[in-house]
Amino acid sequence: MTSWMRQIMRGAAAAAMALILVSSANAAGTLRYAAVSEPAPLDVMLTTATVTLTIGMHVFEGLYTMDAHNEAQPMLAEGETLSDGGKTIVITLRKGVHFHNGKEMTSDDVVASLTRWAKYGVRGKLLFTEGATVAASGPYEITITLPEPNGAWKNLLGQLEGGGAIYPSEIASKATETPIEQVDYIGTGPYKFSDWRPNRYVELVRFDGYNARDDASDGYAGKRVANFDTIRFIPVPDVGTRVSGIQAGDYDYAETISGDLYDQLSGDPSVVVRKSGAPLFGLFFMNSKAGIFKDNYPLRRAVQEALGKDAALRVSFGPEALWNAQGSLFPEGNFWHSDAGVDAYNTHDAAKAKEMAVAAGYDGTPIRLLTSTNYQTHFDQATVFVKQLAEAGINVQMIVVDWATLLKMRAEPEQWDIFVTHHGVAPDPILMTFLNDGYPGWWASPEITALKKEFTSTADLDKRKAVWDKIQALFYEQVPAIKVGDGYAYDLMSPKLEGMGPSMFWPTFWNASFKP
Amino acid sequence: MSFFVLKRVTAMLLTLFFASIIIFGFIHVIPGDPIYVMLGDTATPEQAEKVRHSLGLDQPIIVQYLQWARRALTGDLGRSIFYQAPVLEAIADGAETSILLASITMVWVLLIGVPIGMIAAMRHGSWLDQTLSGAAMLLASVPTFWVGLYFILIFAAWLGWLPSSGYPSIFDEGGIANLRYLLLPSLTLAAPNAALILRLTRASMLDVSREDFVRTARAKGIRPWRVTTRHIFRNALLAVVSAFGFTFAALLSEAVVTETVFALPGIGRLVVQSILNRDYPVIQGIVLVVVVIYLVVNLIVDISYGLLDPRVEMQ
Repeated sequence: MTSWMRQIMRGAAAAAMALILVSSANAAGTLRYAAVSEPAPLDVMLTTATVTLTIGMHVFEGLYTMDAHNEAQPMLAEGETLSDGGKTIVITLRKGVHFHNGKEMTSDDVVASLTRWAKYGVRGKLLFTEGATVAASGPYEITITLPEPNGAWKNLLGQLEGGGAIYPSEIASKATETPIEQVDYIGTGPYKFSDWRPNRYVELVRFDGYNARDDASDGYAGKRVANFDTIRFIPVPDVGTRVSGIQAGDYDYAETISGDLYDQLSGDPSVVVRKSGAPLFGLFFMNSKAGIFKDNYPLRRAVQEALGKDAALRVSFGPEALWNAQGSLFPEGNFWHSDAGVDAYNTHDAAKAKEMAVAAGYDGTPIRLLTSTNYQTHFDQATVFVKQLAEAGINVQMIVVDWATLLKMRAEPEQWDIFVTHHGVAPDPILMTFLNDGYPGWWASPEITALKKEFTSTADLDKRKAVWDKIQALFYEQVPAIKVGDGYAYDLMSPKLEGMGPSMFWPTFWNASFKP
Repeated sequence: MSFFVLKRVTAMLLTLFFASIIIFGFIHVIPGDPIYVMLGDTATPEQAEKVRHSLGLDQPIIVQYLQWARRALTGDLGRSIFYQAPVLEAIADGAETSILLASITMVWVLLIGVPIGMIAAMRHGSWLDQTLSGAAMLLASVPTFWVGLYFILIFAAWLGWLPSSGYPSIFDEGGIANLRYLLLPSLTLAAPNAALILRLTRASMLDVSREDFVRTARAKGIRPWRVTTRHIFRNALLAVVSAFGFTFAALLSEAVVTETVFALPGIGRLVVQSILNRDYPVIQGIVLVVVVIYLVVNLIVDISYGLLDPRVEMQ
């Protein structure tokens, strides 16, 4: 037995030695990012999947991007002029911007990219409605012509998530509805795509031909400098391993750590806690197309009345530092923050809800609530709400499936009455999923349709804000979805990382570096 | 001998054929599809339909199966929807990790399970046997993710001796020294398996030691050590060897919890990730490969039976 132990000790010592030798070799300039999962293909026009965008933000750029105050600022664009009441938008492009394949970006590339986005992109149709066009009006100038003015145009072009990223024309013009191939992951960003090894990593390397903007860095906007030679996005599915990996120095940044570890890690000198700058909030969508909630707004309000959001948030996010039970669809400090309708947000009155349900004609029919276990917060919040609704005499039957199944089922109106998802802070309210009448839930009442038209037909921000207040009030009246409350994810980073800038939604690593 | 092998191989191919139908059928019966996972939460049904069509997923299931089977026969397992790379490439990359992990684990299992099992059997009923068997039960019952997380905490986060997670290929920078990434995972995985092999070795040695020929051997005055190694152990080995084969095959495909805890790019995790993504070509490819591995390991075990025990006739 003793010789055994001696051998094990000897093996461990040899391994420790090897570790010391190798770790000193790989330290220089590689940022190791522990991600929750692998990304979908990096065609950012076609997807809104989170990990994909975290990587894609470094590779691709759009004409505009968002600053720290969530306002759109030029990125590949130089500036713009609007005419014809906002129906004609002329955008001048920066000169000397190069793609990762060495080609200089011109209006051909932008037109081809926006055309592909308009046709197949997740959000292209929001800007390029029927009759809208984009054309080159010079080597460094494009002209967008819209049938109606669209007050959200710049915010739409400033969102990379499912947005109008600029690809080289030869790639964009042949691209279809299927994601582009890995060899075509060519953008203008400070890092370029290098390698993707299943379940090992996606690797980006510094793009030496990057021509940074001169204006100071501000949110995602302004100057971007790539200090790392390499960034590796490594899928580390287990949260405990992500935490230990940072503590052990095997990763420099680890995303999405669980709430129950927050207090403990906040006091740990071997890690730095980085709270997300933008909340995510759970949304419980009501089925407006079929089933018990179709056209029955009083019953929806009864459900809303029964719910207490604090309990759901505490169960799903943990310490109070990580959540905020507030009903505005945009957080405080955001331009779109509004108090309209929020009195109905967090009432938690079972007795009144019971009366309201009876008055709405509710007869105890089970309400089908569709949720998944892939997102623990969804399941936790649903569990709390089911109990609260039972107290109000509203009978809910949970249908628990995995996320891929939920996505399939929710597209079929006959399958569910409520489904659970979450939403982030959008750069423009028009990007909120419940305003998209094609999105499951299918909120398309005459009232919201009229308000949406009014909302996008002007570029005047104050007028748009006034309309937005009305939309939020209607949100609490017709209840297309129920907002759970703002939850803040948090990440961990190594204390040796500096220059990260203010916390936004996507962590970005241009301008960041290791302390000397 | 050759007739025996031929018969087994034919049976194997038939099994493979039925397995392929079951694999294909089952995967496509699970609700959900890869399209929304790939496009994200906000894709419209029209977009999803277009992508589904371009991937051929809107064709009848029989047509999809025939196309897949035809290509699989030529060694082409198709392309991953998510990795945008040939399935075989993804499997080969995962196989390196899985095979190395399973092999190192088997070395631990062999080094720990068999000798201690022998000792326990030789001293059966003693305090040593009680202690060893008790420890084995404990190791077999503790969940691997728990053991794994504690190994990471102690050896990576506190002591800093070993890397916490991941595994860079031995063909990449770092070379053979990268095997140190597999030290903690293999020990984690070895714990329950070594305990089982230990129990099995002990039990089957005890069984054999009660046989008549052992008593005869002892009566003939053969030295106790020789009786143990040549007569008891050799005969007890049969059960242990077949358990070994299955343990190895199981390690290749069932190491998923350990692979997840240690973020290892192995086959187990590849298949789970692919199931969550509904990356059909990858799931089908992996299950097919795993079935083939099981069948081949089975065949090897059957053949080695005959070599170990002349009474098993190969007809």
